[in-house]
Amino acid sequence: MFLQQLVNGLTLGSIYSLIALGYTLVYGILVMINFAHSEVLMVGSFVALAVFRFAPAILPQGPVGLIVALVLSMAGAGVLNVVIERFAYRPLRHAQKLAPLISSIGVSIVLQNAVFLWVSTQSESFPELIAATQFSIGGAGVSSLQLVCMASAIGLMMGLHFFIEHTKVGKAMRACSDDLETAGLMGIDSSRIIALTFLVGGALGGAAGVLYGLNYGSIKYNLGFLPGVKAFTAAVLGGIGNIRGAVLGGFILGIMEVMAAGYIPRGSDWKDVIAFSVLIFVLLLRPSGILGEKIAEKV
Amino acid sequence: MKSLNRTKFLLACTLAAASALAGAWSALAQGAKTVRIAVAMPLTGDMGTEGQGVRRAVEMAVAEANQSKAFPYTLEVKALDDRADPREAVNVANLITSDPGVAVVIGHYNSGCSIPAAKIYARAGIPMITPASTNPDVTGQQLNPKWTGKKSVFRVVPTDDVQGEYAAQYVYSKLGYRKMSVVHDKTAYGQGLAEQFKKNFEKLGGKVNSFDGISIGDKDFKALLTRIKSTGPEGIYFGGVYTEAGLLMKQGRELGITVPFVSGDGAKTPTLFDVAGAAAEGSYLTITGIPVEYLATAKDFIANYKKRYSGPGNELKPFDHFGYEATRIALEALKKSGPDRAKLINALHQTKYDGLLGTTTFDAKGDTLNKIITMTKASFKDRSFPPVK
Repeated sequence: MFLQQLVNGLTLGSIYSLIALGYTLVYGILVMINFAHSEVLMVGSFVALAVFRFAPAILPQGPVGLIVALVLSMAGAGVLNVVIERFAYRPLRHAQKLAPLISSIGVSIVLQNAVFLWVSTQSESFPELIAATQFSIGGAGVSSLQLVCMASAIGLMMGLHFFIEHTKVGKAMRACSDDLETAGLMGIDSSRIIALTFLVGGALGGAAGVLYGLNYGSIKYNLGFLPGVKAFTAAVLGGIGNIRGAVLGGFILGIMEVMAAGYIPRGSDWKDVIAFSVLIFVLLLRPSGILGEKIAEKV
Repeated sequence: MKSLNRTKFLLACTLAAASALAGAWSALAQGAKTVRIAVAMPLTGDMGTEGQGVRRAVEMAVAEANQSKAFPYTLEVKALDDRADPREAVNVANLITSDPGVAVVIGHYNSGCSIPAAKIYARAGIPMITPASTNPDVTGQQLNPKWTGKKSVFRVVPTDDVQGEYAAQYVYSKLGYRKMSVVHDKTAYGQGLAEQFKKNFEKLGGKVNSFDGISIGDKDFKALLTRIKSTGPEGIYFGGVYTEAGLLMKQGRELGITVPFVSGDGAKTPTLFDVAGAAAEGSYLTITGIPVEYLATAKDFIANYKKRYSGPGNELKPFDHFGYEATRIALEALKKSGPDRAKLINALHQTKYDGLLGTTTFDAKGDTLNKIITMTKASFKDRSFPPVK
């Protein structure tokens, strides 16, 4: 049973991590929490659904369809995130810190209601891009969907790591994250780097939206809220602004929730209480999160 | 600047007063000629399809009454959306009570919405008939000494204690299961139903392996299902609605749980097959009353409904005939008493109505004495729920 619960926890954790990265990337550069990220995730899943409805031919069942859906949703969500940044956050870059935060809550509400009013008020079933088959690994039942979910999430995270650590643009992003103004003085176009960060963060959110729809079979206008809150928590737990921290926090939260629901009698009533109590406890011991060290300089 | 603000404020006040007067005037002007039947249902969201069905049924009953010219005034339907959310239900109830033209409310759908809303209707003296809420407290709360106002809540569906008991007996005697796991969705409806099932199943001598709540909005129940699987139940009882029921069935089968799921009327809707897919096959679902397609008395209703509403999204939903019956009962009472609310409540208590559900009479709390429950078994192939003996 332990192995089975571990598989359940890793699937949940991989989705949380992917979303948490979107929060942490933006925070790393702008020191702001993008509350609209949960809606970017939701829109990402609806992009895949729209493509499936209007042009099903380009989404055949199988790995090709999945990759096409991922790419299109990532592009859609990434561009949306850039547009949000351009119109809702950039004009407020030099305003007081609360202003962009409130602006992001506003964007979140607008997006959610836009989908509610114009697209659908209820759950829509998500296309089965990958046939659900069952494997047994050491007694634990694993579905093809769970494997796809974990593999895509880990693949994207490795891609992000490479991009940030080993490319020139990644280096510029790190420089902006260290000190936005100085990076600007050194000849980095910081506005472009910020837009790029939103593009990358949004794309990861879009991918998470597709994996979410794939794994749970249906999507809805408010699907982003709960995973958004959890992923934001995961990012704080790992140390917000820290990329490895977001991934670690996501997996810890996912596994913790599953273990609480899986081993404690009536645990599923209490799993959120348990998970969030641990969060409070960790923050009391390490206010900057498990891997967050730079946070003190930033605030 | 200050004086400008004051001018603006005064202007706003004048406008507000004027519009309030206009509203009161139009209510007065119409009051003599129109009587409104309010329908408070979830019209959007996951429960939206079910709520829209009830709205259609109520509109049909009202249109038929207008056509028959049995009333000296025009009847009008006022439909409001509670989004299946108890907070929104309270807002809707306040909107309804502020309209003096409303004689009766048909609503709400979810027990969690009906319970708080009923208090508001009672305070305003408006009778309410729920066609779908099955938690005993919907009417039972009227016995509380703190209840203000008349006993004005009625329902045309049997309650969860009847449904839970029936399910427990069926599982114990007909299916012969002795070990069950119970899950509920922590709502007034789901948890109430699950507790009734547990109580009655244990009374019969069965063992409840586990009893857990899940949160609405959560999508991943694999951790809980893995634990349930390890306790080796012969079946899983779920108290809740189709969204979570479907996910539990789907994820349960993915984890290799082969025992059947048993649930209540909230999960019995064809949309269940959209969420669960083939995993819903063979699930047992209790429903209140007899399925409408097996009711000899409902043939006309179904034919008229299909004539009036066609096209995708307008299919007959599981509670439509209850909504229709509730409206017919309200209209019957209205015919006798006139639109005065207090007289209407008294007339409703005297109800003896022969309709498509059989004969409906209410007990002192307002619960129907017509308490039939049917067990159905889900068939994925034709997306239906044929009754089983």
